[in-house]
Amino acid sequence: MSYPLAQLCLLPLLLSPLSPGAPISPAEPISQAYSLALYMQKNTSTLLQTYLQYQGSPFSDPGFSAPELQLSSLPPAVVSFKTWHALDDGERLSHAQGAFLALTQHLQLVGDDQRDLNPGSPMLLAQLGAARLRAQGLLGNMAAIMTALGLPIPPEEDTLGVVPFGASAFERKCRGYVVTREYGHWTDRAVRDLALLKAKYPG
Amino acid sequence: MRSAEDDAKTPEQSFWSNWSSWEEVDVQNSLGHDPLFVFPKDKLVEEGSNVTICYVSRSPQSNISCYLEGVQMQGEQLEPNVTVFNLNHVAFIRETGTNIYCKGDQGDSIKGIVLFVSKVLEEPKEFSCETQDLTTLNCTWDPGSDTGLLKQLSQSYTLFESFSGKKTLCKHKSWCSWEVAPESQEMYNFTLTAENYLRKRSVHLLFNLTHRVHPMAPFSVLFTDVSTTNATMTWKVHSTGNYYTLLCQVKLYGEGEVTQHNVSVEVDGEQLFSGLEPDTEYRAQVRCANANHFWKWSEWTHQNFTTAEAAPSEAPDVWRNVKSVQGHSVVTLFWKPLSKLQANGKILFYNIVIENLDRSSSSKFLSIPAPANGTELNLDQCSYQIHVTAHNSVGTSPASVIIVSGDPGNKEVEEERVKGTEDGFSLSWKPQPGNVTGYIVEWCDRPRGPLCDLQWKSVGPTTTSTVVSSDAFRPGVQYNFRIYGISTERVPYLLEKKTGYSQELAPSDNPQVVMSNLTSRSFTLSWKDYSIESQPSFIQGYHVYLKSKAGQCHSGSEKAVLSDDAVCCKYKIDNPKQKTFVVENLQPESFYEFLVTPYSSVGEGPHGAFTKVTTPDEYSPILIRVILPMVFCILLIMIICYLKSQWMKEKCYPDIPDPYKSSVLSLIKSKENPRLTIMNIKDCVPDSIEVLNKQEGTRKSLTETESSKPTYLYLLPTEESYSGPGPCICFENFTYNQAASDSASCGHVPVAPKAPPSQLALLTSPENLLKALEENYMNSLGEIPAGETSLNYVSQLASAMTGDKFSLPTNPPEPALCSEYKMQMAIPLGLASPPSSGSSSLSSFTLLDEGEHYH
Repeated sequence: MSYPLAQLCLLPLLLSPLSPGAPISPAEPISQAYSLALYMQKNTSTLLQTYLQYQGSPFSDPGFSAPELQLSSLPPAVVSFKTWHALDDGERLSHAQGAFLALTQHLQLVGDDQRDLNPGSPMLLAQLGAARLRAQGLLGNMAAIMTALGLPIPPEEDTLGVVPFGASAFERKCRGYVVTREYGHWTDRAVRDLALLKAKYPG
Repeated sequence: MRSAEDDAKTPEQSFWSNWSSWEEVDVQNSLGHDPLFVFPKDKLVEEGSNVTICYVSRSPQSNISCYLEGVQMQGEQLEPNVTVFNLNHVAFIRETGTNIYCKGDQGDSIKGIVLFVSKVLEEPKEFSCETQDLTTLNCTWDPGSDTGLLKQLSQSYTLFESFSGKKTLCKHKSWCSWEVAPESQEMYNFTLTAENYLRKRSVHLLFNLTHRVHPMAPFSVLFTDVSTTNATMTWKVHSTGNYYTLLCQVKLYGEGEVTQHNVSVEVDGEQLFSGLEPDTEYRAQVRCANANHFWKWSEWTHQNFTTAEAAPSEAPDVWRNVKSVQGHSVVTLFWKPLSKLQANGKILFYNIVIENLDRSSSSKFLSIPAPANGTELNLDQCSYQIHVTAHNSVGTSPASVIIVSGDPGNKEVEEERVKGTEDGFSLSWKPQPGNVTGYIVEWCDRPRGPLCDLQWKSVGPTTTSTVVSSDAFRPGVQYNFRIYGISTERVPYLLEKKTGYSQELAPSDNPQVVMSNLTSRSFTLSWKDYSIESQPSFIQGYHVYLKSKAGQCHSGSEKAVLSDDAVCCKYKIDNPKQKTFVVENLQPESFYEFLVTPYSSVGEGPHGAFTKVTTPDEYSPILIRVILPMVFCILLIMIICYLKSQWMKEKCYPDIPDPYKSSVLSLIKSKENPRLTIMNIKDCVPDSIEVLNKQEGTRKSLTETESSKPTYLYLLPTEESYSGPGPCICFENFTYNQAASDSASCGHVPVAPKAPPSQLALLTSPENLLKALEENYMNSLGEIPAGETSLNYVSQLASAMTGDKFSLPTNPPEPALCSEYKMQMAIPLGLASPPSSGSSSLSSFTLLDEGEHYH
């Protein structure tokens, strides 16, 4: 029930950067992006828990955590505060833009994997699809902010490449875990990025 | 490595080549740069298989643990960096596979595999083929468990017929259709093969097509010639070829009975049902099977039918209730609805024929519409024979005859108690010597209700006992049963009465007790209004509980401990009709509490609130009895005395006139006439009375002889002077209180102040006296209404001197009517001496103040 509603909410957010001719003010897209990021933040832990629940042990074990698992194709969200603070607006937005671009592709991949591995779990597949849509929405909002701030928009790249197709079932389960985990981390980071921007450009 | 030939036509036979020679591979080099590898990846095995897992680590020092669904596995190290785990009889856990993973203790990434364990493919069970129309074979089987996995599709089924060599891939997991060959192939040899990624299983079936015919259900089931007791059923069967005969089974359900018939049918079937009940719904069903080679029955085909109505077979069960109202008999007729078997159809109405037995010519006819189960008739005191018949659309039932006698015949019958149970009342009665056609037991289901819901039960002439049961019977309700015998003339007469409870309950209410005759030693209790008939059990008597502070019980009572541990005395009354009780042997001025409760065989009434009473003082009633009349008498006397005080005073202690206190005395003193002295009363004797008639406006000429000549009134009235009761004339001594005289009988004859007789004695003539009076009392005389009479005493001596015309009698008679003469009492000598002037004057003033005012 909440997913269609969420998607309806996303519609103006997705459309807003595309509307031409309006006077460009960074405050509005920043506010929109911030709202979306906050909304995404509320659902990230649910997505991760749902994902783990369907993968069996050890993923479904209580308190499962494997920070050492990483994906080379997905930039890690973890960054030292000093480094993060030293970044300027353009760099922050550029990092987030790149990460969410990679996340949208990875969430698509994980969705495909789970359609094979867990065909009888429509709830998980729906949550993965919703997360991918929101990531795309945030990407659009960030592009609008960068346009408003007069920053160059980085070109879209194929972050996945040809790598993932030969993975085993266990590797695919691990991959999905990393993607859903990083999706949460990057959303948290985006909320902080946008909060900083929001303070800088009050509406 | 070896190879084999795979031929679909010969699935059982595989010819394998020889194994190839072993090749050695350097694992370390062939793998990538990851620190850990686990094998085999995504392996598919059957449940119960033995599986070997191994891991290869890049650094042999790493302490690596491996887990199967969270449980650590014990492995066997083959080389420093290669360890194997042998898993025996792996179990199916879930369709998405079993996770096996390994992890170093130095924060290395986890690595793992998913082992897909499938269920073992089962052999198809209950493989069977049959045909309904000889054109299509339908083969069915039980597939067993599904072996589908992520890595493996569910098993597939293939049907192969060896005679025709045809093969078909079944679309469904549990059944398959096979087209029968047009060339009328009779024998079929089927092989059903189940197959998945790991295994194949086959079953075989050889049969003759005609032996596997499962006919379709019959159709067009119809009923013809349906009468009251017979019906004919027809049906059709689907054609399975001209040369097949079907055996059909027909079942008939009706009124709880089932009958079965077998019929041989080629195209159309027919079955006659007889001995049916009228107006009854029956349910018929039919199924068929191949008569020559029985395989299976077809499905049932059902159809219902109802037989025709017939006339009711039994007379209605009729009973009556007779009441006499103002010389008429009100007869309420009741009848029970006929049972379905008796009615033979829907009863439309009841006909009642009332035949007067005393006057055979007059009879009455009534028709009551059907749902009614009774009617009320107003009859006179004659005997009537009543016929009741029930009618349905076909005919009339036999008549039920009952006779209502003109003589109610309510002979007194002793009521007998019966004990009921949950199952009802078991009643028995004495057999009647005469001819009895039956007995009827009558009772009310709701005896306390306004409509008693009269019930009855008829039994035969040889029965003398029955059990009456009803769902309406309730515990604690008294039911009365009357047993009637029915004579051969169909006249019911009362035989016995029974009464009882289906279950007796303890009395629920205590009587309303009225206390009376309270004395210091006893009081009386009565509960006349208590009805023992409406109690929930047979009242056997009463218990009177008496609580007292003394706690001692006298004879006739026993100590009892109540539920609240209070001790009291219990009196037992054995007679339920005794509704008074005298509590005796009480202490005066004591506090008592009492309770009257009924008891029966199942207990006594509730120990509710006790009534409190305090006995009075022993003497106070006596005192009250004496004192009250005395007080009353005294009061009466006092009232009488008050009302008659004046009379009493006059009778008992009249005032004694005192000459020394006369006002005349002071008058004399004021004139300062030293010569005047008071004459002693004993020295003079009055002999006549002078009456002065005063004329209006002639006060000043009182002394004139013509106008004021004194008139002498004779004390003895003469015929001329006395004219009946006229104005009263009072002879009064002036020393009396004037006011008191006025209020008495002389009030209406006011008199002028007069001189006392003693003073008169000083005046030698009436003229002298009048002069003296005139001088001193002119003012006061002016206040006296004119035309009134003044009285003066005239001494006998003076009268004699003035030459009286009449000779006065020496003994004056008693005054007549209201004229009275106030007697003077003789004054003692001591009192006759003149008192001092001061006290005399004071006394005189006092008297005058009370009387008329002279100053």
